[in-house]
Formats: sequence, structure tokens, C-alpha cells
Amino acid sequence: MYEGKIVFNKKEAKNIYLLGIEIPKNILKKFQPGQFLKIKINQRMDPLIPRPFTIHAIEENIVYILYQIVGKGTKSLSKLRKGEVLEFLGPLGKPFPKLKNYIICAGGIGIAGFGFLLQKSANKRNFYPPETIFYGARTKEELARLSFLKRFGIPVKISTDDGSKGYRGFVTDMVEEELKQTPRTVLACGPKSMLKRVAEIGKKYKVKTYLVMETFLACGTGFCMGCVIPLKRGKYAHLCIDGPTFLAEEIALESLS
Amino acid sequence: MLASGTWGLGENLDNFFALKEIKENIGALVTKGVSVNPRKGNLPPRIFETPCGLINSIGIENPGIKEFKRNYLPRIKSYGVPVIVNLYGEEIEEFLELSQELRGEADGLELNISCPNVKKGGLFFSYDSKTVSKLVKEVREIWKDFLAVKLSPVGPVYEIAEICEKYGADAVVVANTYPALAVLEFKPLKILQGGLSGPAIKPLTLRLVYEISKKIRIPVIGCGGIVSGKDALEYLLCGAKAFQVGTANLIDPRVSIKIIKELRDLKNGLCCKSNSS
Repeated sequence: MYEGKIVFNKKEAKNIYLLGIEIPKNILKKFQPGQFLKIKINQRMDPLIPRPFTIHAIEENIVYILYQIVGKGTKSLSKLRKGEVLEFLGPLGKPFPKLKNYIICAGGIGIAGFGFLLQKSANKRNFYPPETIFYGARTKEELARLSFLKRFGIPVKISTDDGSKGYRGFVTDMVEEELKQTPRTVLACGPKSMLKRVAEIGKKYKVKTYLVMETFLACGTGFCMGCVIPLKRGKYAHLCIDGPTFLAEEIALESLS
Repeated sequence: MLASGTWGLGENLDNFFALKEIKENIGALVTKGVSVNPRKGNLPPRIFETPCGLINSIGIENPGIKEFKRNYLPRIKSYGVPVIVNLYGEEIEEFLELSQELRGEADGLELNISCPNVKKGGLFFSYDSKTVSKLVKEVREIWKDFLAVKLSPVGPVYEIAEICEKYGADAVVVANTYPALAVLEFKPLKILQGGLSGPAIKPLTLRLVYEISKKIRIPVIGCGGIVSGKDALEYLLCGAKAFQVGTANLIDPRVSIKIIKELRDLKNGLCCKSNSS
């Protein structure tokens, strides 16, 4: 595990925090968009297993983690202050596939991993930029990092369930409308219900659809085989070494319900 | 030793260790459970964290003995430390077939009679002393090298340990995970049944090691919640002749190096203290 010093840990939106960890550049150099880190929250044994977080962005020698408080681990994480030292493992998992002519569909905290993709594609480092980013949340208060996302000159289309900002309704409605006009590849991350809908829409418009999956995860290294994602034809993939991004057509739909 | 099921099938151990580090810090590698036929393992969710512990229900996912021998074992052996293959069978005959397949191929066997996550075999053996007697006796006839039995922490543990000794086991591993249950959702009720491991179980297994090591003469290998050199030392002081590190590998893949360093430092400290007193 590596060590990094917290340089900030601030509230970004409702229940969403932005954590900045200072780490040596030679370690940062290995990070790719779509990969994740496992962060050890404290030196006590509860929470026991370091928690997985996608890499949100990198600036200079700081890695940014955008996270939502969902349980004991993330709640403890939100209490940590500037100057404290965290241990982490990574980068883990496979990077996003290198796509061209694609759109991003993000629901809620699912936006987190795409910041780094935008940064890398802006610098033309192996990744191409998306044509449009579709980003939905329940309410305006739960949208995070909008000014950062808009910095890249790529259209960011917003939806909220309650209509407090942008389109009123689900982000998948906007994605369907877009694909109806211009069918193209989709890269999606968000809650299971959203991913399931994206998979259905992708199938309907016959476009390649990639889903960034989530499941209970322990080791992150392929050691424990705990993080299985059921595939079609009764097979299993392991999220930490085969994912977290999968082609929707390969995944068994029951894993999204 | 690295405990079964906590370092995969050895595919990427060298991503985390230099070969020299493996040789200097790890006494033996105990493989994930291997069965005669390939097993897909259980449906997800397979893991759930509890206070200071982890419940798992992997279900012995493995490629089967033939594929294991062809594509995994050579790599594991290349790490240069003794390889102990953990065997899983639903029937005694399967254990015998596996033992036969591995003759001359591995340094030792660890019979898994204690997995709580399977419908047949596993933990069910641990409640049946007659079956365990027959199992150990018959494997012993085939397998002449190091033979350990991984006991369950539940059931007639002391009796089973004595049977293992009587029928020729070289060591017992005390112990596997504790049968446990987590509630995942209230309504409709969704549960996960599996085996509990991690620091939460250490005091329980330490007690078992202490008691069992007084009852039998063959070595007891302690296994349960070790995350530090201090934990390891406690097991050694309470009767274990060796120890396995399991869940801690899932927290930090290089934890065994830290544990060994801490243990050496502690033992040096103890040695100096006793010399000076």
C-alpha cells in the first residue's frame, strides 16, 4: 500500500465530498481513467476492508476522489481532515475502453470516474473525448462538479428527477432521445436501475454500450473472487480484474436488478 | 503461510511481491480449494463486511484439478516456496482422486473438511467423525508427503483433531471460518450465509488453538484473524507451531511482509527481555 496526505476533504454537493490526496508523481503516472483505488479509512479494524473509489481527477501531484456518503466507511472518510495520512492500494481494475464517437451517461455519483477521462482526452493521451455528457441526479443539490465538467468544452446535459435543474426526468430519457437522432456508443456509470435502462436503450438502437459496474468488493486484486458479475451463458466475471467496465451485451441482466 | 482462498490461484502474486520477498517471508503457499471438476462458485453477493470481520460465500470457485495442474500449479511452484494444495471434495472418493492426481506435483495437501459455503462436503464432514477417520486414513495411504487437515471451528472440534492425529495427519489447521449470517435487506428479507473471518474471530480461534494444541502431539497451524506480528506471536505462544494469514491479504496484499517483520521485532524484544531478567 502507498501513503498519501490529505490536502482537502470538502463537501461538494448534498452527501457528496471531494477528497484530494497528495501522492508521489511516479505513482500517479500509472493511473488511467476507469481504474480505482482502495482506500484504508483508518488504522482500526472497523471498517476492515479498504473501500474502492474510482479516480475522479488528477492535478499536479494530487489525486481527486469524488465520493458519496453511503455507509460506515464513507461516513468515516468524510470526517478526515487536511494533513491526515491515508493508505491506499492501486491503481486497480482495467481502464475505460478507448472509445471514439461516444456519449457518456452518468447517474448520481456515477459521474465520478469521468472527470479523469475528460482530463486525459483533453490532453489527447490515448483517450478520445465524448461527444456529449448526460448527467442526471435526483435534485439540483445532488449535482457535483458542474463547473469542472464544463471546463472541457464538451456539452453537459443535465437532468434531475424533480426538475430543479435541467431536464425533468431520468437521464436515460435524454440518452434515448439522443440515440434516436444519432446512434453511437454509450459509456455509462450510475445506479443499477439506470444501467439496466441504458442496456435496454443501447440494445434498441443497436449501439455498443459499456457499463461501469459496482458490487461488494473485498481484495480488489483478484485474490478473493468475491466480486463476481454474472455474465450471459452462466459465466462469471470478476469486477476487480475483468472490470469494472463491461460490455452490456455480455452481462446477465439479473445482475442489474 | 498464505491461507487458502486469499491469494487467488497465484496468477498475480508476483505483481505484489518480488520473488525474493516471497522466499524470505512466506513459509508455504496454501492454494485455493481445488475440486475434481471445475466449480463456478456461488451467486453474488459473495461477501459482506461486519464489524472487524468479513463474511464470505465464494463456493470454492476453481478450474478443476486438470486445468489447475496444467495452467496454475506451475506458476505457483515457480514462486519457490513449498506448495500445499487445499482439496475440496463432496465425497471421500473425490479427495482420493485429487490426492492421486497431485502425487509428486505438490509439497503438501490440506484437506478442506470445513468450508461452510457448499451444499455437500465441506463443513458437513466436520460433524461426522467416522467419515473424517476414513478420509484421513485413505488419503494417507495414497499421499506420503505433508498432510494437513483444515478443521472447522464448530462441531466436535477436539474429537476431529484427535482423529486427524490418529489416522496419520501431519498437522491440523485451526481453523476455517465460522458459519455466519448477514442481513442484507429487511423487506423482503435478503440474507447472506457464509463464513466469518478477520480480527473479529481471533479470540475464538486462539482459544481453540490453545485447547487443541494441549490435546494432540502433531503441530497445530493457527489460522484466524491474524493481521499483525502481535497476533501471530499470540498464536505461537498459545501452542501453534506455524500460522496462516488469510483475510489480511485482502486488506493489503503485502501484509505478510509486515507481519513477519513485526513478529521478528517482537521476538527479538522478548529474547532480549528474558536475557536481561
